[in-house]
Amino acid sequence: MRRYRSIHFLVIAFIVASFLSSTLAQTLNNSAANSSSAASPVKLALPLKEGSLRFAVVGDTGSGTQKQRDVGEMMVKYHAAFPFEFVLMMGDNLYGSESPRDFETKFSEPYKKLLDDKVKFYATLGNHDLPLQVNYQNFNMNGKEYYRFKKGSVAFYSLNSNYMDKKQVEWLESELSKDTSDWKVCFFHHPPYSSAKKHGSDNQLREVVEPIFVKYGVDVVLSGHDHVYERIKPQQGIYYFVSGAGGQLRAGDVKPSPFVEKAYDSDMHFMLFEVVGDQMYFQTISRTGETVDSGVIARRKK
Amino acid sequence: MRTQKTKLQIDWIRVGGLCLIAFGFAVTLVVAQKIDNPALAPPPVITPAEKAAIQTFETEVKEYVTLRNKVREQAPKLSNNATPEQINAYRKTLEDAMRAARKNARRGDVFKPQVADYIRRTLKTEFQGKDRKDIRDIVFETELQGVVLRVNYPYAQSAELSEMPATLLSKLPQLPKEVRYRFVGRNMLLVDRESNVIIDYMPDALP
Repeated sequence: MRRYRSIHFLVIAFIVASFLSSTLAQTLNNSAANSSSAASPVKLALPLKEGSLRFAVVGDTGSGTQKQRDVGEMMVKYHAAFPFEFVLMMGDNLYGSESPRDFETKFSEPYKKLLDDKVKFYATLGNHDLPLQVNYQNFNMNGKEYYRFKKGSVAFYSLNSNYMDKKQVEWLESELSKDTSDWKVCFFHHPPYSSAKKHGSDNQLREVVEPIFVKYGVDVVLSGHDHVYERIKPQQGIYYFVSGAGGQLRAGDVKPSPFVEKAYDSDMHFMLFEVVGDQMYFQTISRTGETVDSGVIARRKK
Repeated sequence: MRTQKTKLQIDWIRVGGLCLIAFGFAVTLVVAQKIDNPALAPPPVITPAEKAAIQTFETEVKEYVTLRNKVREQAPKLSNNATPEQINAYRKTLEDAMRAARKNARRGDVFKPQVADYIRRTLKTEFQGKDRKDIRDIVFETELQGVVLRVNYPYAQSAELSEMPATLLSKLPQLPKEVRYRFVGRNMLLVDRESNVIIDYMPDALP
């Protein structure tokens, strides 16, 4: 009898041990699979040269949604592989109300890891942004609705396309006329060229700013507003990008257009840039880590 | 010999003339480039009555700005490195203080009838024609849910702000940096840049 009891005990112990070991194995497998899927999306299409200037671009972000956070997390993954110094924001930084809590849920939480890593964000104002955002410490606008800053050989101009008055146009022309930087990049919310159905090209803005860009040798113009990605065929030597789906998406909004080189409207995205001498490399990455566009821009002869 | 000398003189005159034409052309080109930009176009030609109406409007705006800046001096200073809490507190303080300082403000205090008529005429001209479709699209595409037009109260934070077309801004009376024009449907607003409070508005501004 006692012998049978021992056998029973051994059988039960064997079953329990088998169950526990299989559960443990499954857990370990799952965690390995998760970690491999977390690492796999990073596929860099940039040269990652020593001493190069690296930055990211993200637009129309401030929705506070899980998908905005997904984009933020993908930016973190790419930042680990491609340590960019700063991020340009294309406006609509905060949709809806702008309470202190909104600043957290729509900006500082989705990009917390980047902020913790001392990545600086340089914002521009969109049509959903209150002007006092210019005073917000993490937008680095220094109290100004339009401003210039320089990084390495690149001069960046953030403009307020909501209110392009005479003073701003005069400021832009005056600053550009004395700017001897190798590269000149302008960024603002409304796109001078866009094939999206919702808004499309802002022709009246283009009528005002494009002659100035051409005259003073602006190389690249970045904007948002339309919640899609578009790379425009160079216009009078200038490369235009629409990057307006960092927190909002208008799926299927792009319509065929002769001036569009590449478009993407099936998921949200962000962009990476690397400047190496006379070359500016770019890569556009979807929320899930897919590279949707990449290429290189040669500096204009001035 | 004399004929040859005369011919030489004529040639020089021709060269000189051509140079003069080229110089004139170059100057015209430079000047044209400078003033061709629609945002830098000179203000439209106006009648003495319109000039007086604009001057009255500018005086009203200036008085608002003087009062506003006086009120602002008493509010806590807002640094260029502010936290969201500081921004929120500053906006609210300015909004409340201005409402108290302008407690009798009414619609039409700044957009008086004469200047309102002038602005309506200007906007009508600018919105006419097939080539002005872009301007109309920009102004009327703005989503305005939640906007209540009420003098001395803020423009709803949840509503988007209409883009003010640059080509239009150059045609309207110029404003100091503290004050902004804004469209809400066919209405034109005058808004405080920082507090977002509606200073005044004129209905049916747009055709």
